[in-house]
Amino acid sequence: MRGKNLFKTIFIIALVVWALYALWPTYKLQTLTTDESEQLDEEGRLVSLRNKAIRMGLDLQGGMYLTYEVDLPQLVEQLARNKDDQLISILQKTREELNVSTENFLDILERCFEEEEIPLNRYWGERGDSDSKVLDELRNEAIEAVDRSLQKLRNRIDQFGVSEPSIQKVRDRRILIELPGVSNPDDAKALIGRTALLEFKLLKDNEVFTKVIDDIDKALARSRGVVIEAELPDTTEVVTVEEVVEQKESNDEVISVNELFGEEEILTTESEEADTALLVDREIFEENPFIALLRDTRQAGKLVSVPIENIKAVDKILEREDIQSLIPPDAQFLWSSETFRIGDQEYRELFIVNNEAELTGRYITDARVTIGSDVQSAGMPEVNFALNRSGATIFSRVTGANLNKRLAIVLDNRVVSAPNIQTKIPDGRGRITGIGEMDEAQMLAIVLRVGALDAPIQIVEERTVGPSLGRDSITRGQYSIIIGMIIVILFMMVYYRMAGVIANFALIFNLVLLMAVLAQFGFVLTLPGVAGIVLTIGMAVDANVLVFERIREELRTGKTVRASIDAGYSRAFKAIFDANVTTLLTALVLYQFGTGPVKGFAVTLSIGVIISMFTALVVTRVIFDYITSRRVLTKLSI
Amino acid sequence: MQFLQSVHIDYISKRKKAYFISISLLIIGIVSYIVRGGPNYGIDFKGGTSILIEFEKTITTQDIRDALIPAGYGNSEIKSFGTQNQYIIYIGQQKELSASEMVGQIQQAISASITDVPYEILETDSVGPKIGQELRKAMVMAILIALLLMLIYIGWRFEFVFAVGAVIALFHDVLITLGIFILLNYELSLKEIAAFLTIVGYSMNDTIIVYDRIRENLKIYRSDDLNVILNRSINTTMSRTVITSLTTFVVVLSLFIFGSEVIKGFAFVMLVGIIIGTYSSIFVASPVVFEWQMRHGGRQKLKMAKKKR
Repeated sequence: MRGKNLFKTIFIIALVVWALYALWPTYKLQTLTTDESEQLDEEGRLVSLRNKAIRMGLDLQGGMYLTYEVDLPQLVEQLARNKDDQLISILQKTREELNVSTENFLDILERCFEEEEIPLNRYWGERGDSDSKVLDELRNEAIEAVDRSLQKLRNRIDQFGVSEPSIQKVRDRRILIELPGVSNPDDAKALIGRTALLEFKLLKDNEVFTKVIDDIDKALARSRGVVIEAELPDTTEVVTVEEVVEQKESNDEVISVNELFGEEEILTTESEEADTALLVDREIFEENPFIALLRDTRQAGKLVSVPIENIKAVDKILEREDIQSLIPPDAQFLWSSETFRIGDQEYRELFIVNNEAELTGRYITDARVTIGSDVQSAGMPEVNFALNRSGATIFSRVTGANLNKRLAIVLDNRVVSAPNIQTKIPDGRGRITGIGEMDEAQMLAIVLRVGALDAPIQIVEERTVGPSLGRDSITRGQYSIIIGMIIVILFMMVYYRMAGVIANFALIFNLVLLMAVLAQFGFVLTLPGVAGIVLTIGMAVDANVLVFERIREELRTGKTVRASIDAGYSRAFKAIFDANVTTLLTALVLYQFGTGPVKGFAVTLSIGVIISMFTALVVTRVIFDYITSRRVLTKLSI
Repeated sequence: MQFLQSVHIDYISKRKKAYFISISLLIIGIVSYIVRGGPNYGIDFKGGTSILIEFEKTITTQDIRDALIPAGYGNSEIKSFGTQNQYIIYIGQQKELSASEMVGQIQQAISASITDVPYEILETDSVGPKIGQELRKAMVMAILIALLLMLIYIGWRFEFVFAVGAVIALFHDVLITLGIFILLNYELSLKEIAAFLTIVGYSMNDTIIVYDRIRENLKIYRSDDLNVILNRSINTTMSRTVITSLTTFVVVLSLFIFGSEVIKGFAFVMLVGIIIGTYSSIFVASPVVFEWQMRHGGRQKLKMAKKKR
């Protein structure tokens, strides 16, 4: 008995020492003054101190929480051998179903193909492959694509320099990203969310541009019921892009979208007036409804631009099937990535480029930000990139063959810049200008270095917590823990006297151990986690109460103090064990199903329950034994 | 100091009254469910975007609405949150804009209109419609699995009939707590679900203490009638039940009063759940065992149970 208790006592003392050691960094971090923390930061020790302290969840320290979903329909479309209309329409259908159902994407895909009675091997895998074989292949492709995306996102975030980011895969196709301390969502998302597909595409000649715009204009005018030919005496005279230059801004007036699309086609966004108002020149609008939406902006060094108010309408027109057929099959419209201003009006440039890319970012080996030194770009950030050997060969050929043509640098289907090719570039080095801010350039350089994602990713969940809310939660959490504890401690002391003091000691020990475990094993403390600690305080005394009530019962039957204590502990054990196992089981379920913050609750609750069993059954027992072994007690203060 | 040391209350014969109370509470819950059309789902489950914003001075929801109208967010749901001039702006699902774009627009609108009161955006949440749906499914699954695990564990450690009693008591607790939760129009989000699951664990805890004593007493008092044993077990564990409930209740109350606004709903579920859970472990869990035994084989089966263990 003695030897056993000696061992237990040593064990408990060792635990206390360990707990204090484990909690030291947390204490240190909490009590640091700003000067001290700056000094530690300079010495590079702050990070290691942070790592050893209790890790706070985003809801307590502030930060961003993003869930991305890999666009699998897009991925399988890219993988398809031939992308005919039927495939596009089936994929569109799966996409719609995917938005409303919780079913697996590939299951939906399989079903949609079965409904159409089309074998999957028409698009994927080898001819003659069974549907299930093709599906397996697609599944593997999807898993790999998600893993590769995850890796790339991790690289991007690491290079961006967020401290302690957490990036993990959830439920096959989702990527959960936690960025502590990041409070500017736009910057982070510009870095993470973009596919970063870089393409070099040749611009179409101006003649082609003019012709396409004219064609669209006529078609649109016709569909609005205005027959230009009938009203114009000279049918050869049509308004061209160049003519728009003459139009003065003062002629612009605001019309509604309905006026453009006619009565029946109303934009079905949950839209506000601001969204549907267009900026057009009334005089030319009647005859040239499309050109009226555009502006000549050569004064700003851009050919054709669109006031931002009109962008949606232009997109809408360009999407129309009858209009699509007017665009040459080898060409496409693209917007510039940056907007610009002339006076008060904001514009976005419109380009028409070759569909086929001459070169993609796949060949990039390095990308760095520099400051422009030309007359034009002095002081502006730009990104210098280097291509690998095969990329350099292609680049050399393309630039050599297209001298004095413009090459658009396209990032995720937006034109970053479209410089004129002045010389053949043989060394595979190039430069991207017109990026805008320094931050933007830095992010561009990062994504170019890391490379593009296999498939686009989309945000499905986004949460940000400001630092002050977290601070408030911590202070108020501490308050409620302290107040709850004081009440419980007072109650136990009054109700169980000496035994209550022992239980209180166990309770405090319990709390210290719980925090030490959190710190040592890197568990994350969240706001619900704080609630879990509070709850643990309440429930931790339960085991003691059970034992004490049992001891009192035994004493009432006339047993000696020692015998009562022994019987009390041994009889209460079963009940304590069963009761705590059920709590643990629910915590386990919570951990399995919950998201971040709720997981934190499950963690503190489970650790609390386990520790409280230990403190109530072992620690208090040792103390009781110690007291009763010194002298024979006839009365127990309980 | 001691109280409830020697109570001799006949709970089993009072069970009809308890049933009446329980059923009344359940009906209140069902009525409020129907009247309110289900729980008031939070952003986690219904999706959309919500913004928690704090102003430095007092301001009305109308001021905020007026500020949002020009930006086209005039029909957002705006409500005050907590006490420190905090407001939640809720915008339903939007197709075309990302959450941060929306937050940016709203920030601009407020800065433009409410120029004299500084403010701070404390928190933004944006949840896609599918995520909400999935979470709802996952949470229902979680609660059902937790209940199933309880059923299995109790069935294994005790007799099957105890498992039935315990799980009925659990359903009873969760449903009544949910009813009161809906009645008072609290918002149901993930944290509250966590609280409901904790109620499952907590109420189970309470019930097991009583069952453990019944298990023990069945061995000791072989000749006594079942209702006598049940009553004795409940009575002897009464002081423990009350004390533990009290300490837990007090700390959760401290969380409810002093804790962060964000955790209020959670603490509320716990507060109600502790009361209902304590009540059910006394007035529901054991009477159900009694009821079941009276109908299916009387005391016979439980006597067998005694031999087995």
